[in-house]
Amino acid sequence: MDKKRTALTCVLIVALFLLPLVVTGPYQLHVLIMMGIAVILSSSLRLIFNLGQLSLGHGGMMTFGAYTTALLVTKLGVSTWLALGAGAAAGALLALLVGYPFVRLKGIYFSLVTVFLAEVIRLIAEQWQSLTGGTMGISNIPGPDTIAIHGLFSIAFASKVSFYYLTLILVLFTLIALYALERSRIGLTWFSVRESDFLAESIGVDTASSKVLGFCIGSFFAGLAGGLYCQYNSIITPSAFGFAYAMYVLIYMIVGGSQKFSGPIIGAIILSLLPEVARPLKEYQPYIFGGVVILVMFFLPRGLVTLPRRLMTLLGGR
Amino acid sequence: MLEIRGLTKYFGGLSAVSRLDFAVREGEAVGLIGPNGAGKTTTFNLITGFLRATNGTVLFEGKNLVGQTPHTIATMGIVRTFQATSIFPGFTVLQNLVAACYLKPRIGFWEAALHTVSSRRKEKDVLDQAHRILEFVGMGQMKDLPAPSLPHGHKRILGIAIALAAHPKLLLLDEPLSGMNAGEVVVAMELIKKIWSAGTTILLIEHNMKAAMGFCQRIVVLNFGQKIAEGSPKEVRDNRDVIQAYLGVGDHAA
Amino acid sequence: MTGSALVAQIVLNGLMSASIYILVAIGLTLVLSMTGIVQLAHGEIYMLGAYGTYYFCTVLGLHYLLALLISVLIVGLAGIPLEKIFFRPFRGQDFMPSVIIAVAIMIMLQTTAIVSFGSSIKVVTTPFRGVVTVAGAAVSWERLLVIAISAVFVGGLFLLLHRTKMGLAMLALSQDIRGAALQGISADRVSSTAMFIGCALAGVAGGLMGAIFNLSPTMGSFALMKGIAVIILGGMGSLTGVVIGGLVLGLIDGIVPPLLNPQMGSLIGFICIILILVFRPQGIMGRPG
Repeated sequence: MDKKRTALTCVLIVALFLLPLVVTGPYQLHVLIMMGIAVILSSSLRLIFNLGQLSLGHGGMMTFGAYTTALLVTKLGVSTWLALGAGAAAGALLALLVGYPFVRLKGIYFSLVTVFLAEVIRLIAEQWQSLTGGTMGISNIPGPDTIAIHGLFSIAFASKVSFYYLTLILVLFTLIALYALERSRIGLTWFSVRESDFLAESIGVDTASSKVLGFCIGSFFAGLAGGLYCQYNSIITPSAFGFAYAMYVLIYMIVGGSQKFSGPIIGAIILSLLPEVARPLKEYQPYIFGGVVILVMFFLPRGLVTLPRRLMTLLGGR
Repeated sequence: MLEIRGLTKYFGGLSAVSRLDFAVREGEAVGLIGPNGAGKTTTFNLITGFLRATNGTVLFEGKNLVGQTPHTIATMGIVRTFQATSIFPGFTVLQNLVAACYLKPRIGFWEAALHTVSSRRKEKDVLDQAHRILEFVGMGQMKDLPAPSLPHGHKRILGIAIALAAHPKLLLLDEPLSGMNAGEVVVAMELIKKIWSAGTTILLIEHNMKAAMGFCQRIVVLNFGQKIAEGSPKEVRDNRDVIQAYLGVGDHAA
Repeated sequence: MTGSALVAQIVLNGLMSASIYILVAIGLTLVLSMTGIVQLAHGEIYMLGAYGTYYFCTVLGLHYLLALLISVLIVGLAGIPLEKIFFRPFRGQDFMPSVIIAVAIMIMLQTTAIVSFGSSIKVVTTPFRGVVTVAGAAVSWERLLVIAISAVFVGGLFLLLHRTKMGLAMLALSQDIRGAALQGISADRVSSTAMFIGCALAGVAGGLMGAIFNLSPTMGSFALMKGIAVIILGGMGSLTGVVIGGLVLGLIDGIVPPLLNPQMGSLIGFICIILILVFRPQGIMGRPG
């Protein structure tokens, strides 16, 4: 990233840290927190998508991570921080388990198998009542443990504001990690594999492992988002992040623009805010959402990130 | 170096290649010819692991390749090019080569992520290597052009350059001259000769008879998945069965 | 219940489920292969067929079969402008925008149902009372009706595809778009017809299901999942495969619920689908690659 962009990003990050001074309403903070979760999901989906595999089961990984975290905390009394990490790891592990057979599938078949995997996860969560509480899910999940350094300070997570900061830190962690990966040698490998996987394979790249790695890392962050959510919401149910939610995440990514790193972020932010802006319309609100999405797809099929360039060609072309 | 014994591949009930035997000695330039649909590309796919043989063995420096993944075979030293032009379309010419060179050497993941000095030196080495290969194939001038914008002939050469980045001991070229005009053919054959003289063993599939016969020391002829002749270019040219195969092909060409 | 009665019950329930799945899946595969659209809103069309039947039958008081027919026609006709406006512009291009648009339509159709009918559970009351005993098993008239009407529609479709000019054109188009165009068959006409038929079939399935089970605005995703599962099982692009796949999936849904519960039936079915995708992605009737 050039100096100008880096400076701008730093300013943005500082602004985000200062935001709670201005935005104080609990509902507004809730929207921001859910937006942060959406950013984590859409950005990590993009990682997998950039390998040439469109995962439509991202919600399933999130559910799996959420349940792992919830179960570890409620049934085994594990520290919430450890459980959060475990939720993320669970997502990665599941991806590793199914990864090799799954990535062999091309195009729509991969998407379909991930959809059904997510459905299977949901159904297992519903059916295994003794473990997961069935359709009612797990409730009374405690928030994150207090971080305390004796004598110095202690951070408790009792209020929405603290959750906001926790979410913000996790979002930044996710984005920095994803960005670094993209710019690294692994990112180059992923790009080559996406451009032409058999060519990469013919010069010695283990394309299968490369794709599985991407799938695992993407699922890691989905699991992380799940672990965060269940501690924030204190309840997790099997259908919280099913097919419908996976579709929303997909919309965020594509409407934002999957070609650029910032695409899913912009998509998640704008499309999370849209329903709030359209709130006065009450139950008619989804029409606005759907309408906007369709308009963007007609005029900016590559996503909102292409808007500046389109405007410039429009203005410059005349 | 490469020994193929009894190589067979069935698709359903049809045999694409059956009981193929031939060998390639180190340093040789061998041509693989035959009418369309004879199974030449299938043979390449079988050797390099893109297809799994139904029967038979492929020995490379004593090791059996059957059942191995293509990337493992590539790291052993066999690299192939593809019948359809294969380049990385989103990159420039130089970037294509950098990617190809980068994908092989050992820059550790964490090193690259943290941009340590040693990884930066390796990055410079990779860049140098990419430039060197581009100069070797004669595309140094075009390094910043987007790969998809190249004329067809140059795209094929880029494909060969990418294969070279993997340091092949044995280079399998699948119809490198297809779609090229006379001028491009000359340039390409010069390059292939250059690669061979530098010590790389070559196995070449080609329809351009003049080029193949003019360059290869030995020719293997396939028809309907079986070897029908093998020998020096002159022997093959005069061989009855070979002539029959090409004349009698007509509407069998697939 | 005697052994044979249990078997009869399983078979009949299985056939009923299979009928619904086959209707949905045929509609989906028609739309997919003729218009090239991944019609993710297909489940919502099914749902609207159910709500339409509910409206005409329970709210307006028309006879169930009449309500079903009207609802099917409306839903089928509604699909035509849908395809023309939202999907046709993307035909042949990058598929991602059309997928997103399908999802957006899915959301908006669900909203339409919620706005028009509310999100509480609805029930369609049919004039068919009582049960019939088949081979010792008691089965409601409605369930038999589902099987019968489905058979009529599926049979009618097969006739349409193999006997009429339009039908043959549609078969030709699914094989080779350019070839069909050369013969002077308008791809647009075929798209519209396929969309009409596909939506109509989904609507029938929904209307039939509405008589058996409760309605909810989110019932569409169930149908979509099953439809996709059937297509995968049977092999994409093969109508015979769809029928076979539907029968298999229906049978699983016939066998499992008496032993466990309906969700387990779905669970087992979906696990089978995952295994099929991993080991034999072309399904039962499809060809590899």
